[in-house]
Amino acid sequence: MFSTVLIANRGEIALRVARTCREMGIRTIAVCSDSDRESAVARYADKCVRIGPAQPRRSYLNAAALVTAALQNGAEAVHPGYGFLSEDPDFAEICEANGLTFVGPPAALLRRLGDKAQAKEIARAAGLPVLPGSSRSLLTAEEAREVADRIGYPLIVKATAGGGGRGMTVVRDSRDLGRAWGQARAVAQATFGDPRLYIERFLENARHIEVQVLGDGRGGVVELGERDCSVQRRRQKLIEETPAPGLPRELSERIRAAAVHAACEVNYAGAGTYEFLVDDGDFVFMEVNCRIQVEHPVTELVTGIDLVREQLRVAAGYGLSVTQADVQLRGVSIECRINAEDPLRDFMPTPGTVTEFLPPSGHFVRVDTHGFPGFRVTADYDPMLAKVSVWAPDRRQAIARADRALQEFRVVGRGVHTTQEFLREVLRHPAFRAAKHTTDLVDTMNQEPEHG
Amino acid sequence: MTIETTDAAPPGIDELCRYAERLTESTPGPLKSLRVRSGDLLVELEWSRPEAVTVAESGTTLATVGVTVTAETPTAVEDGTFVVSAPLVGTFYRAASPSERPFVQVGDVVVAGQQVGIVEAMKLMNPVEAERPGRIVDVLVADGTPVEYSDALIVLAPA
Repeated sequence: MFSTVLIANRGEIALRVARTCREMGIRTIAVCSDSDRESAVARYADKCVRIGPAQPRRSYLNAAALVTAALQNGAEAVHPGYGFLSEDPDFAEICEANGLTFVGPPAALLRRLGDKAQAKEIARAAGLPVLPGSSRSLLTAEEAREVADRIGYPLIVKATAGGGGRGMTVVRDSRDLGRAWGQARAVAQATFGDPRLYIERFLENARHIEVQVLGDGRGGVVELGERDCSVQRRRQKLIEETPAPGLPRELSERIRAAAVHAACEVNYAGAGTYEFLVDDGDFVFMEVNCRIQVEHPVTELVTGIDLVREQLRVAAGYGLSVTQADVQLRGVSIECRINAEDPLRDFMPTPGTVTEFLPPSGHFVRVDTHGFPGFRVTADYDPMLAKVSVWAPDRRQAIARADRALQEFRVVGRGVHTTQEFLREVLRHPAFRAAKHTTDLVDTMNQEPEHG
Repeated sequence: MTIETTDAAPPGIDELCRYAERLTESTPGPLKSLRVRSGDLLVELEWSRPEAVTVAESGTTLATVGVTVTAETPTAVEDGTFVVSAPLVGTFYRAASPSERPFVQVGDVVVAGQQVGIVEAMKLMNPVEAERPGRIVDVLVADGTPVEYSDALIVLAPA
C-alpha cells in the first residue's frame, strides 16, 4: 500500500479522503490555496502545502503545482477527490509521467468516458439504451439544426466536456435553437475550455437514477446498488437516497446489470457512477462519472463499504476487497446537501464568517463537513457547507431522521444563510414522501405560492 | 491578509504573546485570527481589509517581518522593507546554474523587474523578480530549497 498520498482537493472531500488514509496508516499531504490555509483538512493532514492563490485555476486546477507538491513531499499517489482535476485525463497523465499513481481510472479511459458524446456511443455499442440525439460532438449550428429536426423538441444541448450537471441548456422550440446553441458554445468554452456540444432528446419528468460501481481494472466489476438523485435544482443535486424509492425491483436489477456490463466492457478501474434517466418503466444511459461522488456516503451507509479505501486498494494494485456476493444492501440512507445559499433570494450564495457551527449528531447520523466556528464561506468555491446523511431500516424513519438532523444543525454567521429549512420542506413534500417526485420537483416547489 | 514573522534568535513564548498582542492593536481592520507559535517562531494575524499595513513599533527583537498577501505584491512593512515571495510551489535557486554567480547578493541594488532568483517546478524555470527597486537586505531561503507558494524568499529595503 502507499505510504504517502497527496490529496489534490479541498473542502469536505479532502477531509473525507484524509480520514480513510489515516485509518489505513497512510501519511497524508493536503494542499491549500491562500484562502484555505486554516481549513479543516489543512489542520488534519500530516502536512499541508500552500500551492497558490484562491483562484482555482492557479491552485486546485494547477497540475504543475500539485505534482511538484507531491514530489517534494514524498507522495506516491494523488487522490483527486471530486470536481477540479478529478476527471482530467491530462492531469492523470502528468501524475503517471512523474511516477505518481493517479487514484482513478487510467488517463486513456478518462479521455474516452470524459467525452460525453463518445461515452454515450460506447454505452450504445455495449447495448445500453440511450436517448435519441447526435452520435458525436457537433461543431456548427447547421449540424445542430439537422439533428434537432430529426429528434424533435424539447431537446437538451450538452457540453461534450461537461458533466456534474453543468453546461446544459434545454431548448423547447426550434426558434430558440440558434441562440441557445451560440450561448451554450460560449459557456462550454469558458467553463471547460472546449466548445464542443452534442444534442439529445430532453426527458421532462424523469427520475435520475445512478449506479455505483467498483472496478478492479482487470475486468472485475462490483455494483453497490443504485441512488436516486431526482431532487435537483438547476441540475445540481440536493438530496440523494438509496435504494431508489418505489423503483420496481426488476427495473432496478436491469439498470444495475446494465451498469456492470458497461463497466466490464471498458475494464473500469476504481469507483465510478453510471447515470441513467428513468421514465415510465424504461431507462436510458446518460453519462459516467469517473470519480468518487459527492453522494457516495449513502452507498457506504447501506453497504458498509468504504469507497475511498477501495479506490486506494485498486490504485495500489491490491484489487477490490469485496466480491458481488459480499455486497448486502441493508436499509435506507438519505443524504442532504447543506449549501450556504439563501433560498429566499433564488439560492444566491451567501459568503461570510460562520460564528456558530454545531452539526447534528446522534444515532445513525453521519456528517461530512469542513466547517467549524470561524469558518469563512468565500465566493471562490462551491457553497456546500456539509452533507448530512442518515441511515434507517426503512424510508419513513429515514425521512424523519433526516428531518431531525437538519433541525439540529446550527449554523450562525452574519450574512450566512443555509438551505437546511428548504431541504426540510422537500422532505415534507407529499410528492417526495410518496416517492412520486421527478427532477422537476424543486422547480415546481419554487413556483408554489409560499416560495413566490 | 497575513503577516509572518521570523527571527534568528527566538524569544520565549511570553515575549511572543506580548508582541502578538501589540500587533493586534495595529491591524487596520477587524482581527479575524491570530496564531502564535514558539517552536519555529511564528506570529500570524489575519484581518479583513486588504489595505497596506503598518505594523508594530521599531526596535523590536524581530529582525524580519514578511507580509504574504499574494506573491506578486510585495508589501511594505515596518521600516519600509519588503519581501519577494515564491510565486509558486517549487525549488528555489539563487543562480541560473550551479556554476554561475547568484542573481543577487546581500547589499546589491536591484531595479523593478530585475530577476533575483528562480523557482523551478516540473523542470520549468520560473523567474522570480523584484516588483520594486530596492537593496537586498537578506536572502531567507538557501539555494536548492523546496518552497511553497508565498514563502518569503528575499528581503529588500528601499534603495
